[in-house]
Amino acid sequence: MLQINHLEKIYRTEEVQTKALNNVSFTVQEGEFVAIMGPSGCGKSTLLNIIGLLDEPDGGTFTFAGTDVTHVTERRRAELRKTHIGFVFQSFNLIEELTVAENVELPLIYLGVGATERKEKVQRVLEKMQIMHRRNHFPQQLSGGQQQRVAVARAVVNSPRLILADEPTGNLDSSNGNEVMELLTELNEAGTTIVMVTHSEHDARYAHRVVRLLDGQVVLENVRV
Amino acid sequence: MLKNYLLVAYRNLLRHKGFSFINIAGLALGLTACLLIGLFVHDELQFDQFVPDGSRIYRVYTQQTTTETPESHASVSPMFATTLKQEFPEVEQTMRILMTGASLNLLQAGEKKIYVEDGLIADSTFFGIFQLPFKYGSPTGALDGTSSVVLAEEVARNFFGDVNPVGKELKINSTTVVVKGVLQSGLDKFHLKINYIIPLAAAQLPQQRMSNWGWQQFYTYVKLKPGADVRQTQAKLRDYLTQKVQPTLSENDKLTSVPYLQPLHEVHLYSSSFKYDSSVKGNITYVKALGVIAGFILLIACFNFVNLATAKSMQRAKEVGIRKTIGASQQQLMLQFLSETVLLTLVSVVLAAVLTSLLLPVLNDFTGKKMAFDLLRNPALLGLLAVLTLVVGLVAGFYPALVLSSFQPVKVLKSAVVTDGIFGRVQWLRHGLIVVQFALSVFLIVCAFVVFQQVSYLHNKDLGFNRDQIMFFPMRGENMNKQYETFKNELRQVPGVVAASIGYGFPGDQVAGDGLIVPTNGEKKEYPTTQLMVDYDYIKTLGLQLVAGRDFSKELTTDKDHAFILNETAVREFGLGTPQQALGKTVQWPVWNDKNPDSLKVGKIIGVVKDFHYKSLYDRLEPAVLQIFPGAYWKVAVKLKGTDVGSAVEGVKQVWTKFSPENPIEYRFLDDNFDEMYKAEDKLKSLLWVFTGVAIFVGCLGLFGLATYAAERRKKEIGIRKVLGADVSSIVALLSKEFMVLVVVAAVIAFPLAWLAMSRWLQDFAYRIDMPLWAFGVAGLLAAAVAFLTVSYQAIKAATANPINNMRVN
Ligand SMILES: Nc1ncnc2c1ncn2[C@@H]1O[C@H](COP(=O)(O)OP(=O)(O)O)[C@@H](O)[C@H]1O
Ligand SMILES: [Mg+2]
Repeated sequence: MLQINHLEKIYRTEEVQTKALNNVSFTVQEGEFVAIMGPSGCGKSTLLNIIGLLDEPDGGTFTFAGTDVTHVTERRRAELRKTHIGFVFQSFNLIEELTVAENVELPLIYLGVGATERKEKVQRVLEKMQIMHRRNHFPQQLSGGQQQRVAVARAVVNSPRLILADEPTGNLDSSNGNEVMELLTELNEAGTTIVMVTHSEHDARYAHRVVRLLDGQVVLENVRV
Repeated sequence: MLKNYLLVAYRNLLRHKGFSFINIAGLALGLTACLLIGLFVHDELQFDQFVPDGSRIYRVYTQQTTTETPESHASVSPMFATTLKQEFPEVEQTMRILMTGASLNLLQAGEKKIYVEDGLIADSTFFGIFQLPFKYGSPTGALDGTSSVVLAEEVARNFFGDVNPVGKELKINSTTVVVKGVLQSGLDKFHLKINYIIPLAAAQLPQQRMSNWGWQQFYTYVKLKPGADVRQTQAKLRDYLTQKVQPTLSENDKLTSVPYLQPLHEVHLYSSSFKYDSSVKGNITYVKALGVIAGFILLIACFNFVNLATAKSMQRAKEVGIRKTIGASQQQLMLQFLSETVLLTLVSVVLAAVLTSLLLPVLNDFTGKKMAFDLLRNPALLGLLAVLTLVVGLVAGFYPALVLSSFQPVKVLKSAVVTDGIFGRVQWLRHGLIVVQFALSVFLIVCAFVVFQQVSYLHNKDLGFNRDQIMFFPMRGENMNKQYETFKNELRQVPGVVAASIGYGFPGDQVAGDGLIVPTNGEKKEYPTTQLMVDYDYIKTLGLQLVAGRDFSKELTTDKDHAFILNETAVREFGLGTPQQALGKTVQWPVWNDKNPDSLKVGKIIGVVKDFHYKSLYDRLEPAVLQIFPGAYWKVAVKLKGTDVGSAVEGVKQVWTKFSPENPIEYRFLDDNFDEMYKAEDKLKSLLWVFTGVAIFVGCLGLFGLATYAAERRKKEIGIRKVLGADVSSIVALLSKEFMVLVVVAAVIAFPLAWLAMSRWLQDFAYRIDMPLWAFGVAGLLAAAVAFLTVSYQAIKAATANPINNMRVN
């Protein structure tokens, strides 16, 4: 599903150049659950952003579901993002002016889904995430665990083929964290491909496979046993 | 989708109430100013547009060829109309209105008597030229004969109530006329003020005058046939004058002017410098200037809106990041933010519409107009507001929308340090606009102070006489004029009356000017002198002070025909030495005497009065002479005691009625006359306060936006400084410094401009204050203080925020 070849990413600021990714290559199969691990600043988020079509690499190629998407227009990226990719962030990133239901509904709006169908889908996914009773609350009124469940709900509401999660449990206590990991596992079992960045060996155990990064380079790819 | 946008917009609005409020208020205020100015400009441009065939109607005016600068006269010889009608086949109709000056005429129907101004004396073709709508009667033949009158609706209602008065009789200055028609009300956009119209034939002017090319006493209008070329007609008219008219005139009577045909639609706005013109005048320069000002205000309002919105957008960065991550395209986000600003603009426009309808009565009062802002009955206005909303919303929203929608999710979701691209780099533009706004504020503050000072000087300066509690009225009726002596004596008997004087030439009223002959060294020199025609009580009534000699005295019979009193200026300008030395010297005056125009009144100077201001303070004091002259006993001044003025006025009225029962009394107080003179200055004063207030407010909005932006941008820096030990005051100082510099620059620009403008304005007054230097100091301090308060609000907020919060986000 994802094919990453010799990816390079360099950040240039006025004084320094940082090589965030250096010749990174790996593949992710359809239906896989992959964890990316590594110390802070090794380039995990950078990699995930490129996979999520939020950022462009400076070198190498990236193939998404059979098509080369290394250098496509911003319009096409937005298109691919909204149809195929769901995002979950460490800091939840919910829109504070929108209610739970409205946040979850948002991707469907951008997809141009009709109002009745939107309502149905939102209801279904909220029920599944067990957050239905909070549908009319605003994000600030929810606990961290609940917020992350909303974020997951929003990521999956349009049934994307790929979910990208950047330290989804990083701001949660262990029980809330486990809950989110269970959710992701369920989604994966239902067929969704998942790529997750994490610091936690515990979380990584939910994945089929772990890719380890160090200073922008893949140092180890091990399949979970 | 739109619903979602508006929902977020609405919640954003509520969440940042204070911010939304100032942003909306600023825009609404700017829009209100624009709308009010727009209404005024529109109203001015509408003048005479309703007149049918208006594009074929022209007014004849002449430009003098002998004066230094070209001088246009609106009143011309009656022969223009005669000639145009007779000799020019392309002329469909001509019409003349007799220039009468501002005179009050007594109208009477039954028991009701009212003094009415603005009565026109016009050719019977009046309604052929101006097809004004009639309420009662018909324009055909309405001004035929010599005893017809057409009334304005308000006047008709005053005399006859709401019934049709056609056929009823009315007296104008005791001549009986018959009402032939009533005009519909709502002629407020007509360049002629009309209360009634009587036919020119009624004036029975001698034929020899009506055929005189030198008697320039008529406003003349022509209507050309459709398709006629006015330039040709004008050229032909000039040729006709030089070839056919000039040769017939004697050397002394040769024409010294060139005629012009002025389109009706230009009469109101393009005649501001015309002389002998009594039409309702506007001024195209003001109209254009106001248009520019309105545009400028709108620009500033939009700019401040953009400024604030961009500053605020830093806080929306995260939302943009999330939306983009989810798949929103830049266009969709542009659309979202544009719809937000359009919504915000809509709220402002609605608010502005409300404010406009609230303030319009004030403006109407101020301008004497009858402008309407009736949205329900004027769909065009509604459409205009819709367009305004869209245009302002899009213009003001475009930049912030562009900035916001171009945020990259990877960056904004990660850090709080967001710069807004281009706008951040064109800092000079932001700063420049702020400087302009503050320069304007400082300029206006200085002007407001100076005008305020001068106006109170005008109202309170010692005029050299006592103007309080002096009742003033013109005499009316033959009986009163004949028995003026008894009339005056009876007035004096009224309890509460201190003194009474009859004459012509009271302060604040019209005065006559004439030559006074002063024999010096065997030579007779004539000086232009103000002639104050007085009686034995004038000096006493007005409380004038004699600096030498004595007042007129009834006991000395020579005082009646052989005595003059001069003012100090006259003594000085005539070179008569000190007031004491002037006494006893002889002066001569060519008496106003129809039968014997060459007779001289010869007399001695018996006294000198201290200078007093009988004219407004615009005019320099001139030589003035006081003399007994019963021939001009036309006006009365009655000095009342300070207590119980009401009953004294009643008493005066009773005496009046005894002497002139057929005429109602029309009195005023002398000090009102003076206050009246400075009406324009009073208006300017209040206008300046309003403008200053608005300018300061708007300037502060701009500054506030900038300060918000700066505080947002330097959040992290402030956090670090605090952690390192900086206290609140040092951070406030840090943030305020860059803005205070702007205010200083603004003041440096504004001061010389204000100085120039105000020196010019003061120049018009012969008596004026010295330029108050304190006004500049105070204006500068005020602007700085206001600016500091505005900036420090943001600065203190930023300085007192928990530094950890601001640092952690990165
Ligand atoms: N926008 C950026 N500008 C400059 N350097 C960046 C930027 N984003 C990340 N970096 C640098 O690139 C490297 C990798 O960052 P990141 O992918 O966020 O690491 P991780 O997620 O593994 O902690 C780090 O050294 C970081 O400082
Ligand atoms: Mg990271």
